[in-house]
Amino acid sequence: MLEPLKRWSPPALNALNWGLMFGSVLLCAMAMPVSLPSMELTGVGPNWLLIWVVTWSVKRNILQGAAAGICLGWIQDGLTAPQPTHAIALGLVGILTAALQKPKFIAEDFISVALIVFGMAAIAETVTAVQVSLVSDRPLQEIWLHQRQIALSSAILSSLWAPVVYYPLNSWWQFLHQIEQ
Amino acid sequence: MYFLYRYWERYRIALLFLLLSGGAAWLVRQTHGAAVMEVYRLLSLPFQPNAEAQQLLLQSQTWELQQRITALEAQNQRLETLLKQPAIAQNKSIAAPIIARSADNWWQQLTLGKGSQDGLKVGAAVSAPGGLVGRISSVTPYTSRVLLLTDPNSRVGVVAGRSRDMGILRGQSDQQTVLEFFEKDPKVRAGDPVLTSTLSSLFPANLAIGQIESVDLSNTANPKAIVQLAAPLSNLEWVIVTLNARTPQTMVSPRP
Repeated sequence: MLEPLKRWSPPALNALNWGLMFGSVLLCAMAMPVSLPSMELTGVGPNWLLIWVVTWSVKRNILQGAAAGICLGWIQDGLTAPQPTHAIALGLVGILTAALQKPKFIAEDFISVALIVFGMAAIAETVTAVQVSLVSDRPLQEIWLHQRQIALSSAILSSLWAPVVYYPLNSWWQFLHQIEQ
Repeated sequence: MYFLYRYWERYRIALLFLLLSGGAAWLVRQTHGAAVMEVYRLLSLPFQPNAEAQQLLLQSQTWELQQRITALEAQNQRLETLLKQPAIAQNKSIAAPIIARSADNWWQQLTLGKGSQDGLKVGAAVSAPGGLVGRISSVTPYTSRVLLLTDPNSRVGVVAGRSRDMGILRGQSDQQTVLEFFEKDPKVRAGDPVLTSTLSSLFPANLAIGQIESVDLSNTANPKAIVQLAAPLSNLEWVIVTLNARTPQTMVSPRP
């Protein structure tokens, strides 16, 4: 299916790559506020932007991971509310995923990506909970009870839906890599 | 003797019947006909008024009450005009569809499919069948975002309907909200309605919000109650946005 693309000029391929990246981020951002009955667990849905950050960072360095995380965190700020910012949580997710150096240590498959997403979703919710504890005047007990409730649902759902984002993007980037070589 | 024996032989069945029926009748009399009424109820079950008919009656009653409210509001308006009160703009309501929920798990928000092009403004009260649900926190030309009462950042001045105890309603990230009273010893109990306070600067006064579910007076310095919102937030598809006179942007200046 991708064969005809091999005849494209490098600038055109580059433009297509950027287009696909923007498009997929936009799709993920628009999927965030959707609540379909089959996609929810106790009112919590998958964190699509986090899945995108993990997909991006798995084969990139720490700086690239952090940059993507912060950008998508700001997008999520725009979708909800800027305080407390989501950029810290997603930036940390980008850094940690890149630091895992998956190609070297972990086998390349959906299961390992799903596992990374599971862990990262739990970490992201914990970071947000710490931020909320510092900023807001809500009782701490209430915040951490809420954190426990949503971290698990969010982690399970995000890891289950991770291949939907990971598979197409990863295939595309592998194809690009082939052409470059 | 023989005469008595023959009499017994002849009439014993009848006598037994008489005793039995007499006893039964006496029993019925002594129990105030409980068994009879119970059987009657069982037999008449198919003919008893059903829930749907009851619903219809309630609807009619609701309609009647609504008409009375409308009439009283109109009358109130006329009286206020007579008293040379500044004119109050008629409340303008716009129905808006809910197109999205909150994009993360720490905020309780809704996105509506109507925005500034339809006349929606920041601060307008948003209600649903059952009562108030939140207010508009930001608008774009064709969408608007609603901060729900269940959001932890939402604070509303409220009053308990029966005892008029005032307090602040705070979200808790789920369907329930916490009402913190100003008074040390609020005279409230479970089941009391909760309405917006007349002192609230964000919402019109006396909008229904929900019901007190439980009262916690154990901390005397900080008496609290759990309030269940009347509007079923998770099932809503449409909401009503009210552009009220109290909303700063639509405040009407007194007549010259």
